[in-house]
Amino acid sequence: MRKQLQEQIARLRDAGALYVDARWYPIEETNELLMWNGNLKEATASRESGVGIRVLYKGAWGFSAASDVGNLAALFDTALDNARVAAERVTFPVRLAEKDAIQATFASPNRTDPFTVPLADKLAFLQAMDEKLNQPGVSQRICALTFIRKQIVLMDSEGSEIEKTIIEVFPSLEVMGLDAQGMMHSRKFNPTRMGDTRGWETLDMDVFSANAERIVREMNEVLVAEDCPKDVRSVILLPGIMYLQTHETIGHALELDRILGYELSYAGGSFVRLSDFGTLRYGSEKLTARADATIPNSPGSFGYDDDGIPTQDNLLIDRGLLVGAITGRQMVEEANARAGRRIFDGSSGANRATAFYRVPIERMTNINIDPGDDGTLDDIVRNTERGIILDGDKSWSIGSNREQFHFATDIGWLVEDGQVTQVVKNSTYQGETIPFYNSLSAVGDESTWEVCYVPNCGKGQPNQIMQLGHGVPICRFDHVRIGE
Amino acid sequence: MKDRILETLRDLRAYALAKGVETAFLYHEEDSYLMRFANSAISLNTNEHLVRLQITAYQGRQRASYEMITALDKLDEMQEGVDIAAEMVQHAQPLSYDPTIPVYAESFSDESGHDPALATFGNPERLAFFNQAVAGLETDEIQLSGIFSCGANTIAQINTRSEQTQYFKTSDAQISIVLSHTALKWEVIAEQSAQQTADLDPDGLRRDLAFLLERYQQDAPQQIPLGAYDIVFGPAALGDLLSMMGYVGYNGGAMKRGYSFLREDQVGQRVFSPRFTLTDDPTRRETFPFRRDLMGMPRRPFPIFVDGVFQGFIWSQDDADEFDAQPTGHTVPHTSMVMQGSDVTASSLQELVAMERDHDVLYIPFLHYMNVVNPSKGLVTGSSRFGALLLKRDGAVVVPYNVRLTQSLLDIFGDRLAWVSQAQVVANTSMSYGARNPRAIIVPALMQVNGLEISHSNPSY
Repeated sequence: MRKQLQEQIARLRDAGALYVDARWYPIEETNELLMWNGNLKEATASRESGVGIRVLYKGAWGFSAASDVGNLAALFDTALDNARVAAERVTFPVRLAEKDAIQATFASPNRTDPFTVPLADKLAFLQAMDEKLNQPGVSQRICALTFIRKQIVLMDSEGSEIEKTIIEVFPSLEVMGLDAQGMMHSRKFNPTRMGDTRGWETLDMDVFSANAERIVREMNEVLVAEDCPKDVRSVILLPGIMYLQTHETIGHALELDRILGYELSYAGGSFVRLSDFGTLRYGSEKLTARADATIPNSPGSFGYDDDGIPTQDNLLIDRGLLVGAITGRQMVEEANARAGRRIFDGSSGANRATAFYRVPIERMTNINIDPGDDGTLDDIVRNTERGIILDGDKSWSIGSNREQFHFATDIGWLVEDGQVTQVVKNSTYQGETIPFYNSLSAVGDESTWEVCYVPNCGKGQPNQIMQLGHGVPICRFDHVRIGE
Repeated sequence: MKDRILETLRDLRAYALAKGVETAFLYHEEDSYLMRFANSAISLNTNEHLVRLQITAYQGRQRASYEMITALDKLDEMQEGVDIAAEMVQHAQPLSYDPTIPVYAESFSDESGHDPALATFGNPERLAFFNQAVAGLETDEIQLSGIFSCGANTIAQINTRSEQTQYFKTSDAQISIVLSHTALKWEVIAEQSAQQTADLDPDGLRRDLAFLLERYQQDAPQQIPLGAYDIVFGPAALGDLLSMMGYVGYNGGAMKRGYSFLREDQVGQRVFSPRFTLTDDPTRRETFPFRRDLMGMPRRPFPIFVDGVFQGFIWSQDDADEFDAQPTGHTVPHTSMVMQGSDVTASSLQELVAMERDHDVLYIPFLHYMNVVNPSKGLVTGSSRFGALLLKRDGAVVVPYNVRLTQSLLDIFGDRLAWVSQAQVVANTSMSYGARNPRAIIVPALMQVNGLEISHSNPSY
């Protein structure tokens, strides 16, 4: 197969293509198990294989993909034909940033491949969790396990040949209950990074049991709580919501294809302009954010992107100042040319596709916030006059340029004069991105820093789902509207 | 091709029977084309041909599925899938209810929604369509984005309970065109949905875009004050609001799980405005309808709200099995929702702008990133996008920066509903996550709701 792909790549180069790559998925497997109130509603395994071909011709992209690789020549020809038509409407001819030809392999770290674990063992885990969640006050209990294993071979006309084997494990627990008014409330446990691997071994029964008990207890507290007041307060975001705040208003806002207008017809643009790099005060001095695809064990660490660029650790926001973006080979060239200055020194290695039948686009890696020096949660609470601690991603809605947002959380704890006073329900907060990050007044230390996983980030047309991560500490923001 | 697909399914059925495995097969084939525009260029031009097979094995109350992306000539691979599903089901824990396996009394085939010309609309035609739709509208500052997505979708079914088959084939196209100002960052949009080539109307799109451009180029955008507004929703916004209602409203399974703002005792009660009538109507070809559901149940117009009175929940087979309810023919990849028009003749933004009014009206064509804040209250939130306009009572037109609405569907479709257009339009609500599944909602062209609070107003884009 590799030889045939190389031959086809060479043939299209000879036919005038500027660049050709093939992503061959010998196999991608998933296993999804969902138990809802003890019923195994979903016990699904899947397998797919195929090839996606990307061709650059006269400054325009063409793409084709098929699961049936019986006629590779036709598949490559379709991609070239698509590029030829696209070349009829080019305003800024695509150029690709320089890269080295790389021959390499990458395997995500795991001790026990979940696809070697018997289904009976997986179901036993779910059943044990379901029993833990089956407690008074709980009307709905959901336990889910998703396993992914994919083998990707990337070959291109510049001499790269990279093989990746990626394994992911995404477990989750959720309980729901009705309050006295018949209103539904929920509480979730989506485990953060545990250890340096992400195989079956991360499903630690003791950890899950403890958290199952915790979310049941906290949901029952919410059921009898008062409503979140409509107020302006400091919000203290635990990692269970800070990760999503980071994702939506730093991560997506700093995807270079969004900034350049390539997502305007669907996902949206960005309030960030090219002139903002090096000048925009994105947040307070306490805010340092980075795209770090080198941290061990996260879906946002994948060895090499689908342009064949090694993963990197790049600053995005340096003590409040905007300095970087999430980039691939095409966009950095266009951005530098449009800006008339060299903003980006090459791709940051963030171009990824969700499957063989989708084209790579700029995707988040691990978009992290550096830990600060404001201590633990207790320390931050002690130094908060009027605030609310928030956790759990119940609802999120963000402006199309990521300029403003509204989040609802599973739970809130009011803080008065440095003390946690009471739990509240229906907690929400909203704000504008730049004023919000400039109100960042406390950042928790390393002990509060957790790597949260995102299994289902949506973007692109045709639509794509991507897996990634966020390492975030506890953060406090001041003067935030809550309870609306 | 149809014969080959059904023959393959029959072969698989025979294999499963020989193995003694109770099995249902769902075949999905898509041929997808998408031309994407950005910065006035074609930024991506794709074609994917994918064959998917879902194999669901049953053993009493146990159920497990195996899915694959495969090729029609890979019968061995598909048979291996049967073996895997058969192995999985032995380990699956029993459900608390008996899952129904469909028994098709007769074979059913519906290709009435398939227009080969649209399904294979070529590269030159797609480009020509876009060029015509934006002719003369682009400048160095005003740039084109958008998609022309089209293709064919085939679904075929068989199971071990009967030899009968089901076969559905449709064609579809979804077009969205965005014109945006590179420096000022405003965006306007025009969209179209097509089930056949005759639905394509590039001149109509151009007319809508030109009208919006004229308004947007006249004045600088403004931040509008927070407060209550009389809001007119356009088709895309209305389609999204109704889609949300499908998740947290009239779905029987969601209601039983507490994830709905509707209760069983509200059936027969007036819940919404008398101006609100909503029907799942699979006779409307524009919705890419299923005239039978995947269980083989014939689908006919199913009223959900009539003059604001709630008629009843919809039930998929699995939810009906679990909660001991009667299935309503809603085991389908998508429904065919139709909101009835009423008596206001204005059926376009142009006519809305021309209407006399004694209050300011905020026109919101599109709600971006809507999400459910509180399902029990039907509370949703989202931001305006793509060409909102504040129509002043003195006839002036103001371009507002985007605003956020956080409102209950009970209020939006309740007694604050002031009027709806007589004319209906098609809002294409297709996504391309996973398997191709074209879908659309038919909605009145415009709907005005009075006194809705704006909870956030942007100072810029």
